Amino acid sequence: MNENLAERLNELPDLLSGHVLLSLSAILVGLAISLPLGVFAAPRKRFAAAVLNIAGVIQTIPGLALLALMVPLLGGTIGYAPAFMALMLYSILPILRNTVVGLQGVEPGVVEAARGLGLTQKQRLWQIELPLALPFIVAGVRTSIVWVVGAATLATPVGAPSLGNYIFAGLQTRNWLSVVFGCLFAAGLAVVLDQLIRLLEVAARDRRKMLAVQVGALLSALVVASVLPRFVEFTPPAQPQISQQFASVRAEEGALDDEIVRLGAKAFTEQYILAELMEQVLVDAGAEVERLDNLGSIIAFDALRNNEIDAYIDYTGTIWATVMARDEPINRHAMFVEMAAYLREEHGILTLGRMGFENAYGFAMRADQAEALGIRSLADLAVHAGALEVGGDAEVFTRSEWINTRDAYGLGAISTRAMDATFMYDAVRDGQVDVISAYTTDGRIAAYDLVVLADPRGILPPYDAVILLSPEAAERPGLADALAGLVGSISDDDMREANRLADLERQTPQQAASWLYEQVTE
Amino acid sequence: MSKSAKPVLELRGVSKQYAGGIKAVRDVSLSLDEGKLLALTGTSGCGKTTLLKLINRLEEPSGGSIVYEGADVRQFDAFRLRRQIGWVMQGDGLFPHFTVRQNIAVVPRLLEWDIATTELRVREMMQLVQLDVEAFGERYPHELSGGQRQRVGFARALAGKPDLVLMDEAFSALDPLTRDDLQRDFKRLQSELGFSAVLVTHDMAEALILADEIAVMRDGQFVQSGTPSQLLAEPADDYVAGLLDTPRRQMRAIAELGG
Repeated sequence: MNENLAERLNELPDLLSGHVLLSLSAILVGLAISLPLGVFAAPRKRFAAAVLNIAGVIQTIPGLALLALMVPLLGGTIGYAPAFMALMLYSILPILRNTVVGLQGVEPGVVEAARGLGLTQKQRLWQIELPLALPFIVAGVRTSIVWVVGAATLATPVGAPSLGNYIFAGLQTRNWLSVVFGCLFAAGLAVVLDQLIRLLEVAARDRRKMLAVQVGALLSALVVASVLPRFVEFTPPAQPQISQQFASVRAEEGALDDEIVRLGAKAFTEQYILAELMEQVLVDAGAEVERLDNLGSIIAFDALRNNEIDAYIDYTGTIWATVMARDEPINRHAMFVEMAAYLREEHGILTLGRMGFENAYGFAMRADQAEALGIRSLADLAVHAGALEVGGDAEVFTRSEWINTRDAYGLGAISTRAMDATFMYDAVRDGQVDVISAYTTDGRIAAYDLVVLADPRGILPPYDAVILLSPEAAERPGLADALAGLVGSISDDDMREANRLADLERQTPQQAASWLYEQVTE
Repeated sequence: MSKSAKPVLELRGVSKQYAGGIKAVRDVSLSLDEGKLLALTGTSGCGKTTLLKLINRLEEPSGGSIVYEGADVRQFDAFRLRRQIGWVMQGDGLFPHFTVRQNIAVVPRLLEWDIATTELRVREMMQLVQLDVEAFGERYPHELSGGQRQRVGFARALAGKPDLVLMDEAFSALDPLTRDDLQRDFKRLQSELGFSAVLVTHDMAEALILADEIAVMRDGQFVQSGTPSQLLAEPADDYVAGLLDTPRRQMRAIAELGG
């Protein structure tokens, strides 16, 4: 079997299980809230309109935003809780709306007949109104299921494992098999659950007890099968062991025996490689590593601050702008010192040190185009600004780096286009945009023959990669020692090459990390 | 009204004013003897349906008292009262998700009869309204004709052995032939079972044919009440005379066509 496919299949039990549990619990609780609420609201027109409006507003919040918003709302908690809350809220509207519509749609004559024959309010509800509204309610539940199972793929960036892991990781490492895998399984799951509910409705309508029992059994089997991986220990597939000859970076063997270390990673290739590198170092020291990949940028920081992860790699310029809310230019070394002091004082976070390389924003264009236009630095762009388009990730154009650069070099006339960072290198290579806000360690800069434009006025802030330890992890003696070997160990060129191996040579982050490990231990 | 019979239902100075200030019923009094049929008639909006709903407390009166079997209806639990009084409504009002059997069994079930008694009663009622038990028992309302549905409606109203049946335009939605059939069957049922009934109808011909007594309403008040022959002989005013004249005019017109 194809190695990529085998690896994806290997991840399936955990991810599918996470996805099913997350979606089903969200829908069940959503149902438990929206059904009684709908029953209460249906006869109260104004109240019904009000709650439907509120639920409608929640529904218009894009799924990813709603999920991400839950993290600060829950005090920085990441993982299952915020994902569950967001999806639960998401599941409410279809069920609530259909319950209200279904109950309000029961023919007035039928309701009056029920009153006239002497049914109590409760009897009317259970014997007449709910059964007649049932097809609407079931349709609402089905809509909900499809939405929630789909939206649960967005739980990955807030740290809840789901089939979205395939999609997010696949997008970043351009592993399309992984993306397709995630989509297929998410869609398949939605279809299966949708059909099971439909069968339940048929069973209820035609009073087919056998069918109801069978569907019930299938649903329970699905739930049990999903819960199982949570309790059964899977023996992890044998990891390629790094041979003993590397010594300098290696932590003392057994220093972290049986300690659990939770590593976070944001959602891009370099982060996967670095998390993998840390994992290899820690595993060699005897630790057991748990990984939370694909975290949103701020979410990773919040998780660290709240001791939900023990360590991850961030960049000085990112912390400077997003956490410290500073935007004045400052030199690389001063920024590092100020940032480390700030993190320690404000949040108890320990900045273990700089890894050695910088992954800054730099504006890159095709070497031949730059040559033809006579552009060497950002200052040279101004003349051509009206004719050029800059591509970049969604974040960059709202950040002070871009705004300051634009203002400092008079680039107001240049047009901008936001896109996923994965695609911008290809876009500039293929001439779909002229300039991109590249990450300076990306392997594709060299591979695609791009040049990073000089920044003569020093506007672009430094982005030193730093190892950050959570307040609790900072107090664990062995952990800081184990990771300290990585400080100052990775050059710009090494990082760029590791990224290139993963992005262009189709190596897995593990393989790229192993290569990097070899470099740093030499 | 004959003196030997005792009244099943008495209304004394009953009024109904809605929240918006509209007076639907004003100071109405009447008395209905056992086994008799009273028709409430008048043009739409005269308050006849509201008056009917006051009897089984689908509406609560704002004044006066309604006495059913010797006790004020307010002394009854509203749900129990309604189970005790039969109710046939306009456009049948059958429960679409119940079979014919289940529809007819609603009141016996509410009255908590045992299963065997209920089943027996359902069969009996279906025979009474001339619906074949085997052929129709398991059908759903949408599988029946309008006349069959209304028969089920009657069977459902009578299943709980009520001694008073309230009917709101029970025949109005039917085609003339079916209506004629059902009216005759209903008359037969009433004499067989001996219940009293209040029938709301805007159709004066129907009232004349079926009722022992007719009350004509306008603006929430009784304009005149009496036996059909009393009304025909001495209409109280032009309104009553006009209502009575309608079926006669139709008859004359038909007769003229026949030459």
